Amino acid sequence: MNKERAGGFIFFFAGMYGFIFSIQLPLGKLHEPGPGVLPLSLSILLCISGILWLILGKGDGKDKVRIDLRGIIRKSLTPVQIVVLTAAFIFLLNLLGYLVASTLYLLLIFLWVSRYRLWAAIGLAIVIGGGSWYFFAKILAVQLPKGVWI
Amino acid sequence: MDVLNNLYSGFHTALSIHNIYLCFLGCLWGTVVGVLPGIGPLAGITLLIPATFKVDATGAIIMLAGIYYGAMYGGSTTSILMNIPGESASIVTCIDGYQMTLKGRGGAALFISAWGSWVGGTLSVLGLMLLAPLLANFAMKFGPPEMFAVFLVAFILLGSLGSSSFFKTMPMVIMGMLIGTIGTDPLTGVLRFTHGNKDLYDGLGVLPVAMGAFGIGEVLSATEESLVRTIHKVRFRELLPTRKELRASWGAIFRGSGLGFLIGLLPGAAHILSSFVSYLVEKRVAKRPEEFGTGRIEGVAGPETANNAATGGAMIPFLGMGIPTGPAPAVMMIALLIHGVQPGPLFISQQPHIFWGLVASMYLGNVILIILNLPLVGIFVNILRVPFRILFPIILLICLVGTYSVNLSTFDLGVLLCFGILGYVFRKLDYDLAPFVLAMILGPSIEVAFRQSLMGSGGSFSIFWEKPIAFILIVLSCLLFFWNILRSVRSMKASWQKALEDSESSL
Repeated sequence: MNKERAGGFIFFFAGMYGFIFSIQLPLGKLHEPGPGVLPLSLSILLCISGILWLILGKGDGKDKVRIDLRGIIRKSLTPVQIVVLTAAFIFLLNLLGYLVASTLYLLLIFLWVSRYRLWAAIGLAIVIGGGSWYFFAKILAVQLPKGVWI
Repeated sequence: MDVLNNLYSGFHTALSIHNIYLCFLGCLWGTVVGVLPGIGPLAGITLLIPATFKVDATGAIIMLAGIYYGAMYGGSTTSILMNIPGESASIVTCIDGYQMTLKGRGGAALFISAWGSWVGGTLSVLGLMLLAPLLANFAMKFGPPEMFAVFLVAFILLGSLGSSSFFKTMPMVIMGMLIGTIGTDPLTGVLRFTHGNKDLYDGLGVLPVAMGAFGIGEVLSATEESLVRTIHKVRFRELLPTRKELRASWGAIFRGSGLGFLIGLLPGAAHILSSFVSYLVEKRVAKRPEEFGTGRIEGVAGPETANNAATGGAMIPFLGMGIPTGPAPAVMMIALLIHGVQPGPLFISQQPHIFWGLVASMYLGNVILIILNLPLVGIFVNILRVPFRILFPIILLICLVGTYSVNLSTFDLGVLLCFGILGYVFRKLDYDLAPFVLAMILGPSIEVAFRQSLMGSGGSFSIFWEKPIAFILIVLSCLLFFWNILRSVRSMKASWQKALEDSESSL
């Protein structure tokens, strides 16, 4: 697997998804093209691009950069942690409100990702979480969720 | 004479206490986001959109434009002092800028960078002031066939000007256009790819997609590596360049101004492209090109001037035709639409006080920025003393709140995160994201123009060659398309041949 083939897979599957759902849309007539024309055309082009890259990406020429899966998994650990925590923040935002959700989010990032000690993480989370709430809600007047508490 | 009268009234608008304050705020915030790696003008503009609800449209665009060109000034600070680009347009400044710092000439590099940015920014505003009204008058003659042709050229250029090959960039453009079709069809009201989800009726939204791809994706990539940073101190008296450095930088500054302005007119990552092209040009015209990479002042002056000059160029199609040529102008367009102002051919004639107020404020803003970026550079550098493991969660919060603030929707946050992951994956695979995001923004417009053209002609394609402007532009886009295919095929053949020769020689 190299980068070109990986890209080819993504384009092909995106194209197939577009194709399956766009053939259900009305194509209209020549003097009144329907909403399905562009998505269908683009999906076909994307599938063709994907197949081309799957074929062209074959081989181990010097311009083909192989993907080192073990290296990727090792390097991706931090981004995966951030994604998981951010997803949890989004999920809990309306329930807990911005102030509590952001403080918890920051606490877990500082503990788990940035690897601060507990008391340093708690302090940073409270200061930055509270400070960000004040900056966004009071100074910039952004309507942030208040949670089930209010 | 008309231009001078309009500019005079523009200064009358821009020099109110209220608008000076908003301009200063925008420039200050723009410099801060430019200095901070991981967030750029896009996040900076998005975050301040809710703050513009309390001001009028003129004040809003003045502030948001200040962030846009302010970020170009700020991005060079970390490039020069720390070898970390604060903004993607300042990547190339790292090459010679940091080397100058290591030689004790970091202050001079900062001075020339700010000076070049001021010259480039000011000259590009001059170009904006002269060309935007002309383009707007010309664009008023455009109907759907002409608009379709303009967008077609824009899309081909998007594919050509990406940092990867044409064959790698075009699928990103196509995928971006496909994502842009999600939502309600603008002509018939039919729902496309919504799967019964009401949050998708209006499409995915430019802001969460762009912030996710550029903001979250950038943070995820940056956190893979541990950033050990050395911040070099610069004293105020070290800021002044020598006479030799000043003389050497003049040519680069003027060449960068012209190049940046012209490239800014084109859709795509104009700021990044302008700085790279400027660097290559300086290396090409230099008497000793082998010295580039060791601390040549031209390697800082040219790119930094070019990326600032590109902001003025980028404003021309955005304001004159309603076509944003980059993610940041696209977000500014959304902000203007929220205020009930539609950029396009009629904008300058119907809202002259906004346009000329903006132009005048850009002259003022460039002055504010040179003051902020020279004697006060130490203040901004201190922001970077904050460890990155504290800084990146703050950047994430800015992206999250900025996205949430527009529609108050957690669905948008989900889109932000998904496109953040996609942006991260595409970065790992060396695919260009700017064409993807821009194609998503411009896709609906080209579709509407195409369908309206065929409706108007009763289904006949002859409308595209009966209209002279449309015909010329379509021929141009075909020529560009085939030229790019030829260029990419030649490049691929050359690499295959080289791979074959290398494998034969190893046997």
